[in-house]
Amino acid sequence: MGHGLLVDVSETTGVRLRAPRHRISRKAVPYWTVRALPGWIVLLVGEVLLKVLPDDPPGTWLTVVIVVTAVLALIHLAVMPSWRYRVHRWEVTPTAVYTQSGWIDQEWRVAPLSRIQTVDTERGPWEQLFGLAKVTVTTASAAGPLHIHGLDLDVARGLVDELTAATEASKGDAT
Amino acid sequence: MSEHQVDIAPAPPLNEPPEWLRLNGLMVIVSPLKEIVRAAVPLVVVFVAGAHSWWQWLSLVGVGVLIARGVTHWATARYRITDEQVELRSGLFNRKTRAVPRDRIRTVDITSEWQHRLVGLSALKIGTGRQDKGKDDELVLDAITKAEAERLRTLLLTKNTAAAAPEQSAVDSVPAAATELVRVDRRWTWYAPFTLSGIAVVAAAFGAVWHFANDLHIRPDDITLLHDGLDLVGTESPWVLIPAAVIVLLLVATIASVLGYILSYWNFSVTREQSGTLHIRHGLLNTRSVSIEEARLRGVEVKETLPLRMVGGGRATAVVSGLRTGRGDERGGGLLLPAAPVAEAHLVAAKVLREPQDPTTASLTAHPRAALRRRLTRAVVAVLVLALAAWIGYELDLLPFWVWIVFVVLTPFSAWLGHDRYRSLGHTLTHGYLVSRSGSLVRETVALRSDGIIGWRVHASYWQRRSGLVTLVATTAAGRGGYHVTDAGTSQALAFADEAVPDLVAQFLEPAT
Repeated sequence: MGHGLLVDVSETTGVRLRAPRHRISRKAVPYWTVRALPGWIVLLVGEVLLKVLPDDPPGTWLTVVIVVTAVLALIHLAVMPSWRYRVHRWEVTPTAVYTQSGWIDQEWRVAPLSRIQTVDTERGPWEQLFGLAKVTVTTASAAGPLHIHGLDLDVARGLVDELTAATEASKGDAT
Repeated sequence: MSEHQVDIAPAPPLNEPPEWLRLNGLMVIVSPLKEIVRAAVPLVVVFVAGAHSWWQWLSLVGVGVLIARGVTHWATARYRITDEQVELRSGLFNRKTRAVPRDRIRTVDITSEWQHRLVGLSALKIGTGRQDKGKDDELVLDAITKAEAERLRTLLLTKNTAAAAPEQSAVDSVPAAATELVRVDRRWTWYAPFTLSGIAVVAAAFGAVWHFANDLHIRPDDITLLHDGLDLVGTESPWVLIPAAVIVLLLVATIASVLGYILSYWNFSVTREQSGTLHIRHGLLNTRSVSIEEARLRGVEVKETLPLRMVGGGRATAVVSGLRTGRGDERGGGLLLPAAPVAEAHLVAAKVLREPQDPTTASLTAHPRAALRRRLTRAVVAVLVLALAAWIGYELDLLPFWVWIVFVVLTPFSAWLGHDRYRSLGHTLTHGYLVSRSGSLVRETVALRSDGIIGWRVHASYWQRRSGLVTLVATTAAGRGGYHVTDAGTSQALAFADEAVPDLVAQFLEPAT
């Protein structure tokens, strides 16, 4: 009883995942920018206070840290929201839900309609400000929920109705 | 062994009015005993060592409250089993009612801690297999007599399958002797030191002692024996000190793991019962008996730690829908075989799945060379960064000289580990099972039934995209929830996903350019 021989495979058949059909709302770009802002501000203010308040402030290295933080913040705020917007997409077919998300790290998730257990919408304070909603589709797996961020509220409502109807039509306990 | 051959009482007539039953009265003894033992250390400190600090007394009050709570629970708890559900009411000020529909019951777990066993009681836990609900989903009867626990176990699980398979009447079929699938041989105890569990135990024990000493303001310096010991140690050169420390640690870890193995896995056995359930029993002082509905079985997992692999050992775990295996499989109850010869692990896996051969032994498809590059880079770079940090630490007079040398010396081992991690990677489909393997220090081979896969995740980090690799995750309602095929070629992984579950991923594929 061995541990299994390793068989080499050559990559001849070339397939890849195509992008899901629908983009999310354009408003997701300002939404992500605004949402990322507070974290950077808190960090920068903290660093500046550390520089200004004490009688004996730390040396030049703190200045370097502040400058680096500011540069990183600017790059993050300039690049992340539009990069994310380009990546985030979703699609519902007669048999499955398909999402693409991420920016530096990207992830694609597929769930068959017959295995869907719940469909939720969620609107945090920032999302309400921009008229957006997040749709979460769960299956019986702890590892498998699909999140669709930054949908227009109307689109989200329509999607939930569509998925709920499709889920009710399928039978079984979806495990 | 007589406790294993309990007469299986026929299910009572279903139209009988159910009556509310109490938990066993002996719990009035057991639950205080449990709390006192659990709080033994503070109690000893207060009464023997005489360290009267205010919070020591406070902790005593806490013990009192816990005892009162246990007694109240017994006094107020009532349970009954109706045709449709199991109900439990309890609580004095905060009255709770919990009901579990009987057709949702997937596992029945009977645990007897030694305090329970002194008076012949058991705690019965009913699980329904909703993975997303976690602990809220359980109903625990703590405690009832062993005979009552066995009666309930049979009753709850028999009705379940009788409903699922109506052609086989539960009343007509004489309960045939259960088939024993595996029984742990005492000689397998010698695999215990190779499981790394001992090291975890030692670390936990050290942490607990340290924490407690801290709380009591005992400093290691104050204890003469330790003080002298440390003085002696301080004068030795690191070249003696490090090997000596390693040997002592290994020795203690070995003893701890062997003791742990004996305590946990004494009389470990897996049997298949007529009612279509797997019954796992084990334990020396605290005994545990887990019944798993076979229809919920989604696959098996064979785990080999590196030392265990070197002596040809392995462990087997069941992948069961609704049984979480996040923190320690034994807790989840899906363990099929503790550390044993790996051939035995494969044998029990095959028997449990009713397959002629364990699917985890199938030949696997290797992953692209880019996966090897990623592993080697990570392994070597990680150690070299640590070495550099240690060297800077030495230059800044923070660390002794030898630390960075140790990291440099570790580099070849780390590179070997990286290579071994690559060799472990592999996946295949065999007889309707998805098989995936990964890991070196703990090598895990999982065989998951394709029809148990309820979705896919494909993950690609920036570096993975550059090397044309992805990590494919098959999501399932069982076990860990998702099983990874790490760093496979993009095309390879997608074709594999399509083959495992037809007509799902195909609609989202396009030819690569």
